[in-house]
Amino acid sequence: MSVPSPRLVAYLWSAIVPVAATFLVLPYRLAIDLSNVALLYVLSVVVTATRFGRGPAVATAIFSSLLFAYVFVPPHFSLAITEIQYLLTAIIMLVVALMVGHITSELKQHADFAERKSLQSKTLYEFSQQLSGAGSSEAVIEATRHFLVHSLGARQADVISPAGFAAPPLPANPALLESCIARGELLSKPLGDGRFYVLLPLGGVGAGQGVLGFDIEAGVLVSPDAVEYVETVASVVSVALERSRFAEIARETEVKHASELLRSSILGALSHDLRTPLAALVSMADTAALGKVSAERQKALLEAIRTQAMSIGQQMMNLLEMAKLSSGALELNRAWQPVEEVLGSALQLIRQQWTEREISLDIAPDLPPICIDAVLIERVLWNLLENAIKYSPADTGVEMSVGQAAGQLEICVNDSGPGLPDADCHRLFNLFQRGKEESDVAGVGLGLSIARTIIEAHEGSISASNRPGGGACFRVLLPIGNPPAMPALEKTP
Amino acid sequence: MNESKCILLVEDERQIREAVATALECEGFAVVQAGTAGHAAVEAGARRPDLVILDLGLPDRDGLDFIRDYRAWSPIPILVLSARTLESVKVEALDAGADDYLSKPFGVAELLARVRVLLRRPQVREQIAEPKLAFGDFEVDCVNRIVERGGQPLHLTQIEYRLLVFFAANPGRVLTHRHLLTQIWGGQAAENHQYLRVYVGHLRQKIEDNPAQPRHILTEIGVGYRFQP
Repeated sequence: MSVPSPRLVAYLWSAIVPVAATFLVLPYRLAIDLSNVALLYVLSVVVTATRFGRGPAVATAIFSSLLFAYVFVPPHFSLAITEIQYLLTAIIMLVVALMVGHITSELKQHADFAERKSLQSKTLYEFSQQLSGAGSSEAVIEATRHFLVHSLGARQADVISPAGFAAPPLPANPALLESCIARGELLSKPLGDGRFYVLLPLGGVGAGQGVLGFDIEAGVLVSPDAVEYVETVASVVSVALERSRFAEIARETEVKHASELLRSSILGALSHDLRTPLAALVSMADTAALGKVSAERQKALLEAIRTQAMSIGQQMMNLLEMAKLSSGALELNRAWQPVEEVLGSALQLIRQQWTEREISLDIAPDLPPICIDAVLIERVLWNLLENAIKYSPADTGVEMSVGQAAGQLEICVNDSGPGLPDADCHRLFNLFQRGKEESDVAGVGLGLSIARTIIEAHEGSISASNRPGGGACFRVLLPIGNPPAMPALEKTP
Repeated sequence: MNESKCILLVEDERQIREAVATALECEGFAVVQAGTAGHAAVEAGARRPDLVILDLGLPDRDGLDFIRDYRAWSPIPILVLSARTLESVKVEALDAGADDYLSKPFGVAELLARVRVLLRRPQVREQIAEPKLAFGDFEVDCVNRIVERGGQPLHLTQIEYRLLVFFAANPGRVLTHRHLLTQIWGGQAAENHQYLRVYVGHLRQKIEDNPAQPRHILTEIGVGYRFQP
């Protein structure tokens, strides 16, 4: 069963309304004055005009006059009009009905237009709100696509960027695209199934922000104000695209600036903090080469050269590590591990380098496994232990204690050195920040900064304080998650 | 007894090569030097060394390819030197067949210690493997599957026993997680690193005096484990 078109329905109503009016007054036709009947017909014209517009109103007017003449004007049930004044009544009624119908339908048109405009402004407003929330050009394009599909009924919608002009997606063809860009105005081509493919330049002639391409039903773009509407959409999109591209450029510049800053800091660190120990290295080697020092002194010199070289190597590694950590998003290679494993490995490494220092470990029993990037956490522990060893007298010990504190894993590294220089301990974790600017301990101020970067990537925290009895304490807190259940691979015999 | 041991040193950096060669010769080893992978392959065939020390960054070939080719015909231990600090590179070299690695810069004392451990290993397959393993105050009777510590029997589960024997049979060698998992559990378990960590933890509880600071089963973070007799 096919649905009749709205137009046919309107004309059907333009017949039904006067017929209904006729039947309404038919029983009282002898009691009601003829002019009142005529007014009733005019009223029915007004009703049709308000509801269905001009065409049906005219039809109602003509049909009403005929009904009036046929039913009510004597002789009844005949179109013949015997008296001239009745003819006059019928004609005036027709004219009045036509005029009223015309004016009413005009009013309706205006009201409809205003309503459509306000709806359009509302959707446009909502759309531009969405666009202003879109941070990247991809998000702008996605919002545009969504808008075209949902409010214009497009089946496909693309933003062809200037980089993609050479090979536009189907059904856009390069020739059409080119003339659209050159003329800076809307162009369309029929698709064959009652739809049109529309190309709209974004950013005027030259289409600096690309070209909007979408398909719509043939009927959508017939009126000039529909075209105007789509062009408004295009201009909103092009402004949003331009803004998002500027924002992207600004972000890139910021990143570039930050890495520039890092590079200059690294250069500064290399030139000062590494050149000094290198100079010492050269002079020690030269002294040893003279061959005039005692065998014992010579051995001590060689030992010092080795220590110095290893320490420079360590600083190089820190620099590389920092460059790696700050060059982009830090990717953690996390896995569930027993804490003891990382601690043991870090201690083993540090004891290999400082064989004569006493490093004690106090570890709580039954610690849960934690989900960490073991390589990076080992790096943190190494840095903290190395600091503790370097900044405390050679005859004092270093303590590491591990336990649980308020649902977190707590690792403390304590030394018995002079402690931290001031109350502002947080500053120590900044890049290239050292406790004392000029220190006789070799270093470039990277270790703690690396430690903080790694710990924060693990959603943990790191802090420094002075111990009540003297010495410094560095405290790392790492979250304890819920380790996954492990199905047994082995049956216990 | 070192006189009989021949070491092939493959390193393109002349200064490092000479320093290491001198140190090895001072310890009584015979050293054959090679600066390229091509030269090393020739020397390896001609001199039949007892140990290869190999720098991964060679000018003519990737060190990993050299290891794979060499492993195809020789079980002789390979000690890798690497300037790259990435754990994945070490794992790759070990999985390709290397036995141990040292990151540059390394100490000569450390290098000599590693060389000694690798050379002490029975490396020729023809030799009848000793059915008894001993380390520290432990004794493992591989025939009767009995582990004793200072004469006292030690109870180990099936997996713990297998892990311990595999470790003890490969002293000084760095065993990657993947290698251990495939050896102990079979190929399908190769990615279950967590199992391995848990069982190594159990084994440490039973054989180490201080499991957090192990003496025998050492962790190489991000790579695997090394057994120290």
